[in-house]
Amino acid sequence: MSYLLEVKGLCKHFPIKKGVLRKTVGLVKAVDQVSFYVKPGETFGLVGESGCGKSTTGRAILRLIEPTSGQIYFEGEDIVKLSRTHLRKARRDMQMVFQDPYASLNPRMTVTELIEEPLQVHGLYSTKERREKVFELMEIVGLNRSYHDRYPHEFSGGQRQRIGIARALALQPKLIIADEPVSALDVSIQSQVVNLMEDLQEEFNLSYIFIAHDLSVVRHISDRVGVMYLGRMVEIGTKQELYQEPAHPYTEALLSAVPIPNPKAKRERIVLKGDVPSPANPPTGCAFHPRCPKAFERCMQERPELIHLGGEHYVACHLYG
Amino acid sequence: MEHKLLEIKGLKTQFIGDKKIIPAVDGVDLTIHRSETLALVGESGCGKSITSLSIMGLIPENGKISAGEIIFNGEDLTKKSEKELERIRGNDVSMIFQEPMTSLNPVLTIGEQLTEGLIIHDKLSKQEANARVIEMLKLVGFARAEEILSEYPHQLSGGMRQRVMIAMAMATNPKLLIADEPTTALDVTIQAQILELMKELKEQFQTSILLITHDLGIVADMADRVVVMYAGQVVEEAEVESLYENPAHPYTEGLMKSIPSLEKEQKRLYSIQGYVPAPDEFPIGCRFAPRCEKAMEICHEKAPNIYSLGNGHHVRCFLYKELEEIVEQ
Repeated sequence: MSYLLEVKGLCKHFPIKKGVLRKTVGLVKAVDQVSFYVKPGETFGLVGESGCGKSTTGRAILRLIEPTSGQIYFEGEDIVKLSRTHLRKARRDMQMVFQDPYASLNPRMTVTELIEEPLQVHGLYSTKERREKVFELMEIVGLNRSYHDRYPHEFSGGQRQRIGIARALALQPKLIIADEPVSALDVSIQSQVVNLMEDLQEEFNLSYIFIAHDLSVVRHISDRVGVMYLGRMVEIGTKQELYQEPAHPYTEALLSAVPIPNPKAKRERIVLKGDVPSPANPPTGCAFHPRCPKAFERCMQERPELIHLGGEHYVACHLYG
Repeated sequence: MEHKLLEIKGLKTQFIGDKKIIPAVDGVDLTIHRSETLALVGESGCGKSITSLSIMGLIPENGKISAGEIIFNGEDLTKKSEKELERIRGNDVSMIFQEPMTSLNPVLTIGEQLTEGLIIHDKLSKQEANARVIEMLKLVGFARAEEILSEYPHQLSGGMRQRVMIAMAMATNPKLLIADEPTTALDVTIQAQILELMKELKEQFQTSILLITHDLGIVADMADRVVVMYAGQVVEEAEVESLYENPAHPYTEGLMKSIPSLEKEQKRLYSIQGYVPAPDEFPIGCRFAPRCEKAMEICHEKAPNIYSLGNGHHVRCFLYKELEEIVEQ
């Protein structure tokens, strides 16, 4: 089976500059040797805590920030090598939905203008056709047609996220990268947006990269999930493999830390010591070893590679090698 | 000693907007017992944070308490002068917020801001205050407490800042700790650390906690009793197990069904239709009626009373009108 998107050894390193001459004194390895693939029509969940590089990965795939190295194959073509003009065409197939729709929508544009903008930028359809298309999109995402001349501030958070989704859908993309699309929303609105995204996926055979820190939402929406820690992919698997048999001690701790909405649930919670270290100065060997309850000597010296555990399950941990 | 530490009766807090009055908190009754954790749950704009700010006497300038009583330890806080409230805030009631960075002064060291309260309220000398702060910092899990004293807030991570806030809040050994979304800005592994810490401190000091959150997982983990708010009113109140086993109000039930499960496969998420109404657009009848699947004719015409399901489980909903009615204050 061919992949829609295949990311190989993706790196994004930000230089740390100091002094009057802005000399580079170090590197923040925000994304470090990350590889994964996305199949047509599936949802790939990307989870991890703040600073793990999940958002940077999402942006680097669209080249909203230029990757330092690595390959990104979209339908077999390496996007990293594309010129600006070709990239623009390729981006029609890959769109993004952001966390805070208020920050990503121009406050001076009406809903119609906002949803029409991507079509205009890519020079698609006549003016009249575009208007029709906008109404059609508003209907698809569940926005009342009569709201067409309103501004973003006149909408609630959930409705604004619907506008963001309509904009992403306008160019009929194959892949949508959604970066924390429901984190800013209330629970009752969150489920509306998740359901909408699932309906759209089915209707238009979309693939999603769903970036989030909420492990329950990711489980619900994803087919496969990747777990990142300090810029590295530590585990990938189908959601059944990952949630039922987490292999990496970090995944295990992460899952056990989520509070379960049942006062009678008795669980052994693994409370990790300390904070996530700075990506400017990551620990040697396995980046997780200082916090890992199962670390042994090899973990401090040697960086673990992703090992195949069977099925679609991969883990970067010396316990398995 | 009285069993009730805090009793709020018929609290109304209003804000003056552009020529209109916004009833942010509209007749709230709630009680916190000694050494109890009460969770106040609801979505944005339901009035949960304004309720807590009303207790502290910290309502923004364009707002005021227009009715009701807040009885704390036998005294009505709504009748206190600003000076008296300041003393209570420093000693008996403390508060921690969602984003600790906004409550810490960025130009003062951790030591300077933590000793300030002790020097002002408890009249301690600088040395005594320092010693007490080091003790508090160790208590909230800082191994290198002495070094932290001379550091600035920006040098600490989010989790460490929240620990500092908790140390600051607990330093005067308060009777009530108000925690407004204390872990919402934190990562899940750090959240687990902070929740464990709050439980330990509560055990140790017998502090009552008013925990304001939207996360029903945290509520299940932390609370003894729960109060659910919707559109400025309390819609349900119960012991935590009773609430999760038998959520009576259709809103509570809808919220519970909307959360995806970490452990089970679900085909489709339940979702409550529509949006929370703005305070100036509250419907005449039940405020949840326009979004409620179980709404009856009466729900659109009359505001529901509160009915008792027994064992302190109360619900504001006409579905239970055959049951015993609770008279509001």
